[in-house]
Order: sequence, then structure tokens, then C-alpha cells
Amino acid sequence: MRILLAKLLALLTGAVILIMAALFALLQNG
Amino acid sequence: MPPFYLGMFWVGFYLTLVLAPLVVLLIGPVPAGSGFWWDFSLALGFAGTAMIGTLFFQTARFRRASAPFGIDIIYYFHRQSSLVAFAFILIHPLLLLIVEPSLWSYFHPAVGPWEFWAGVGSFLALCLLLASSVWRKQLQIDYDRWRLGHAVLATLALGLALAHIEGVGHFVDAPWKKLLWGLICLSWLLLLAYVRLLKPALELRRPFRVTEVIAERGDTWTLRLAPEGHAGFSFQPGQFAWLTIWNSPFALKEHPFSIASSAEQPGALHFTIKALGDFTARIKEVELGRRVYLDGPYGSFSIDRQPAPSYVFIAGGIGIAPIMGMLRTLADRGDRRPLLLFYAYHTWERLTFREELEALQTQINLRLVFVLKNPPEGWRGEVGLLSEDLLARHLPQQREGQEYFICGPVPMIQLSEKFLYQLGVPMKRVHSELFDLV
Repeated sequence: MRILLAKLLALLTGAVILIMAALFALLQNG
Repeated sequence: MPPFYLGMFWVGFYLTLVLAPLVVLLIGPVPAGSGFWWDFSLALGFAGTAMIGTLFFQTARFRRASAPFGIDIIYYFHRQSSLVAFAFILIHPLLLLIVEPSLWSYFHPAVGPWEFWAGVGSFLALCLLLASSVWRKQLQIDYDRWRLGHAVLATLALGLALAHIEGVGHFVDAPWKKLLWGLICLSWLLLLAYVRLLKPALELRRPFRVTEVIAERGDTWTLRLAPEGHAGFSFQPGQFAWLTIWNSPFALKEHPFSIASSAEQPGALHFTIKALGDFTARIKEVELGRRVYLDGPYGSFSIDRQPAPSYVFIAGGIGIAPIMGMLRTLADRGDRRPLLLFYAYHTWERLTFREELEALQTQINLRLVFVLKNPPEGWRGEVGLLSEDLLARHLPQQREGQEYFICGPVPMIQLSEKFLYQLGVPMKRVHSELFDLV
């Protein structure tokens, strides 16, 4: 269970970062 | 605060640390956009670097932050999140080279500026880090050498990445942003000083001495340690500590082992260690009276954290060590709650603690289920590997009241968790301890 949650959290962090990075690029480019 | 909310707090804290650079970079005057993919790539570079920075905090063994999860899973998360960070760091230059092919010319030594080479160096250090960690055993890299190399390469990777960011100066040219990156570097240096200098110095002041080396069944040895000039440390049954035997605590040559002795006897710590690698194969050679050092206790794998009317334990191989600590503690406490132990091993002859487990049945309310892969002739117990059917045969019909503790290799833990789930055991009642992660 903890193993699965740890994997999920790592992937979730990755997904959030990808969204934030895309948002960052969108804001930068109007 | 309940562990769940504490855990959520630390998860939120982690996400904040990783995402903060992206938010901060957007505050104040920012350079004009250079195209979506270009800026997307820069954002991934910043976020990947921030993730690498947090990787250092994950392995600094902060008790408060690791308590809600168990430090073993923090190390597992460290491994998983480093793969994600590496993916971002890999995408960062690839995207830039696709968007702006003229950047390929930087690979000529006469053309590329120093900050470009700092970025390349950081990336190469990360590649080496990843390969040596994921394939350490296949590459036959000794654990102690790997650990030293890991620390050096990680320091190099982050240091060069920060230099690369400073050198390029994109988004960090405002003085207050330069200050921010300076503070990030400072916090990282302070962390390094804490982990590499302060903690070892504290260990040095509280040594232990080897009082006995006991040969157990199955190429396994128990070291008995006594505190020297101090009271030792109190621990919860099932916890573990990092042990340094032949070196100073500053040498980074420490190995984690479960405490197999009773928590009611903190003055006589037992570490039961199977000869599986270079370090563990030498345990039998440890001289009596040798001074050793401990960093601990750590871990949340303990009956003392999970009060219940009865317990079920599942051990694979040397995964019996922390469970032995719990059983011995329960025996010392005169506990009469029902206990059920599934213990999977290769052969009867090499089954570690076989005699003591059978003897414990007279002291505590313990039922043993040995599962042998290669049973001796005439064996009437369980045979093969742990399975759902096997667990179902021995578990009581009411499976929701007990707490379940599993310790062994990662595949065994994952399978056991799956079987228990299929048998109707609520996952919040299942606890595991991982080892042999690298």
C-alpha cells in the first residue's frame, strides 16, 4: 500500500510540475 | 496531530518546495516570452533542479518528517522521485535543442560558454547517479563505494545545476532572485554540514561496544551491543538503526539493520544480519570489544504504534529480524494477545531463529506457520511460496480487528499485501518494512 502511494505521489508530483510548467510557459507567452 | 494529517502536511510541504521556484520566477519583472516550448523547457529545468534539491532533504533522516510514513518508504520515494526529476532534466535540453538547433554548436569546445558545460556536467553526473543506483548489483558496485560515489555525484550534479542557472541568468537576474538562489545554495550547504558533520559528531560521542557475536542458522549472525559511557537509546520494537562497524561515523560506511532484540532491554541491542554482501559477510569476523556507532532508532514498523487485540506477522527470510524484536518484546512484557506468524524460508535447516520461535510459543500466545520452499523429507507443514490460499487457511475468519506486519523483499511484500487485500483485510491495517532498496 505504502509502496503504491509512494509511486503515486512521485507521479502526481511529476504531473503537477508538468501542468505548472505549461502554465508558466503560457503566461510567459501571453 | 494524527499521523494522517501530519503526513498530508509533509506532502504539501514537499510540493511547495518543488513548485516554489516556478511561482517565484513569475513574480516581478520577467523577460519576454521566447516561445511556449522554450519557456516550457526552462520551467522543467528549474523544477527538475528544485526536485533534485529536495532529494537531499529526503535522505537527511529527519525523524519528525519521516515519522508519519516510515523512513524506508521515504527512501523508496527518493528513488521514485529521482526518476521523475531525471525525466524533467532530460527533457529540458532535448526540447531546447529541438526548438533551437543552432544550440548544437555549443558542443564544440571553442563555442560553448562555461555555463553550458556546467549544465552538461550536471546532466552527466545525474546519468551516472541513476545508472549506478538502478543497476548497482548488476554492475557489481560495492555498497560502500556506491554510497560515497552517490554523495559525491549528487553534490556535483546539484552544484553544477545551480552554477548553470546562475551563469545563464535567465529569470534570476534581479538581485532578490539572485538572493533567493543564494539562499537555496546556503540551505543545501547547511544540510550537508548537518548530515556529514554534526550527526556523525553526535554519534562519535555515543559509542557502543560489541559484547557478543552469535552464529545463527542460515549464514546469519547476531551482534550484541552495549552502550559505552551512556544509557543507550530507547526504541520501539521493530525499529532499525544505521550501524558503522569498522570506520568512523564520518566515513559514510554505515548500513541499516533492524533491531532484533527486545525494546524492554535497551542496554543489550541485537542486530541479526544475514551474510548477503561484502559488508554483511564480514559480520562474523567482528572482534569482541570493538567500538561501533549507531544512528537511530528509525522506522514506523512497530506494534507500539498500532495497538490491536491481536497481530499477524508475515516474514520472508531475514525479514524475521524486526518481527523477532516485536515477539521478544511481547514476551518480556508478558503479553497474552493472540499472535500469528507466517515465516517463509528456503529450508528447515537454515531457518533463522527456528528453536527460539518454537520456545517462544510457551511464553506468548504465538502460532507459527513455517512455509518452506524446499522442505525436508516427511515435512507436514506448508510448502512453496506464500499464497492467498495459504494465508486463508490460517487466518481467522474475522480479519478486520488485527494489525498485519510484513517484512521481507519488496516483491514478497507487494504480493502479501495483494493477498491480504483479496482476503478482505483493510489496507490501513497492513504495515510493511522495506529493505535492500539499492
